[in-house]
Amino acid sequence: MPPELEQHWKLERQANLGQATLDQEPAAVQTMQEAAAQVLETMFFSEAEVAACEHAWLASAPCAMIRFEGSHCGEMQLALSAESADPIAASFLGLEPMELTDAQRGQVIQELSNILCGAMLSHLWPESELALASPELTAWQEWPDEGALHRCFLISEGMLAISVRLISKSPTARPVEE
Amino acid sequence: MAYRVLVVDDSPVMRSFIRRVMTLSGFDLGECLEAGNGEEALAQLNAHRVDVILTDINMPKMNGEELMRRLCADGILKTTPAVVISTDATNERILRMISLGAEGYMSKPFTPEALREELERVIGDRDASRA
Amino acid sequence: MALSSVIVGISDCKVTRDADSVLVTYALGSCIAVAMHDPVTKVSGLLHYMLPESAIDAKKAEQNPFMFADTGIPYMMEALKAAGGDGKRMVVRLTGGAQVLDSQGVFQIGKRNYLAARRILWKAGILIAGEAVGGEVSRTTRLEVGSGRVWVREGGGIERELVRTSAAAKRLEQQ
Repeated sequence: MPPELEQHWKLERQANLGQATLDQEPAAVQTMQEAAAQVLETMFFSEAEVAACEHAWLASAPCAMIRFEGSHCGEMQLALSAESADPIAASFLGLEPMELTDAQRGQVIQELSNILCGAMLSHLWPESELALASPELTAWQEWPDEGALHRCFLISEGMLAISVRLISKSPTARPVEE
Repeated sequence: MAYRVLVVDDSPVMRSFIRRVMTLSGFDLGECLEAGNGEEALAQLNAHRVDVILTDINMPKMNGEELMRRLCADGILKTTPAVVISTDATNERILRMISLGAEGYMSKPFTPEALREELERVIGDRDASRA
Repeated sequence: MALSSVIVGISDCKVTRDADSVLVTYALGSCIAVAMHDPVTKVSGLLHYMLPESAIDAKKAEQNPFMFADTGIPYMMEALKAAGGDGKRMVVRLTGGAQVLDSQGVFQIGKRNYLAARRILWKAGILIAGEAVGGEVSRTTRLEVGSGRVWVREGGGIERELVRTSAAAKRLEQQ
């Protein structure tokens, strides 16, 4: 992401945290749970069941962040537990875990976050305009509870964590594809 | 006859997934070209004739909607069947892509079999219209 | 001439190329039946497995690989190959995977069994030609070896054939 856009996003978050929050959107929890199950089952051949949150594993977990703009602006982060990352990537690509390259490991988590974010937002707001940025590999950030929608899921080989939050739309925000 | 397909998606692993489905579906896949965005896709299309284009929407540099707009405006390229493969399942986007000439729209996530069915429909229809 | 039925039990698998046979398996609750058929050689197999992964009981898997998806499916594919079947030509259908209580009161074993089959077959380079899975009904499945047709009965309902309905697929097959 260009540095000036990164700075813009940081200022937006500081100014608007707590407003227009997803955790106050009634359908959002259900949609996130259904999207996670549908995405994991359909293309990754794994279950995804809501689980109690326990975050010790997140500190070292492979993680992707994806930002979205359009009718709603915000960001989603997604993490896979270390023991599940390789089986999930291998399942998607139809490979054995030992055949995976490091590049493929990262790209699968990025694509998982892309698919899940798009599926969730398209179902939550089907009449909206939506533009997703390219997902970035990053480290998990513990967001404040207020304003963010968060769930942990038990998947076939380990754990999945998802957090999504909105920021208020700024008239100065640039489209994510520029 | 052998088909030449262009897959346009900024995710290399998504391109691998699509290529794998096409290979396993039993199509006579002559060549599978790849592009990471709309600009690369146009460069490929200027250099090669293709039978089917599969394109994502959200990509850097030039997105799939702009790509379709350019194809639609090109007298020769507008006849090449294009299928959208995207996470964007919002109604307005779907309508716009179809109005730009997309012959199919696959919303991610989809099973390998669902993609196969869509490819068979588009390629089969194309073969039927040529008969 | 009447077709002869070959029964496939629970945690069982049969492979044959006898065109006068019908492979049949009953009482598919959360279990999955994998039906495979080579349309050229007629080599066919029907597997009925109970659980997704053999790691939970490696000793049992050694005694009976057909109890688990990750040992049963590869075993069946090897047996089909040994009988003259071509893996690339195999037409594969899945039935079963219903949500029923297992011995631990867990509902999800049917779905886990189904996902295991999908994962293993995708890795093996096989797309499914049809499926009748999920729900809460018990199923009976039969595979006619001579024709490759697969029939399923759900609960007390009438039998129906599992077909691929894509008209375009039929056109491509005729090329």
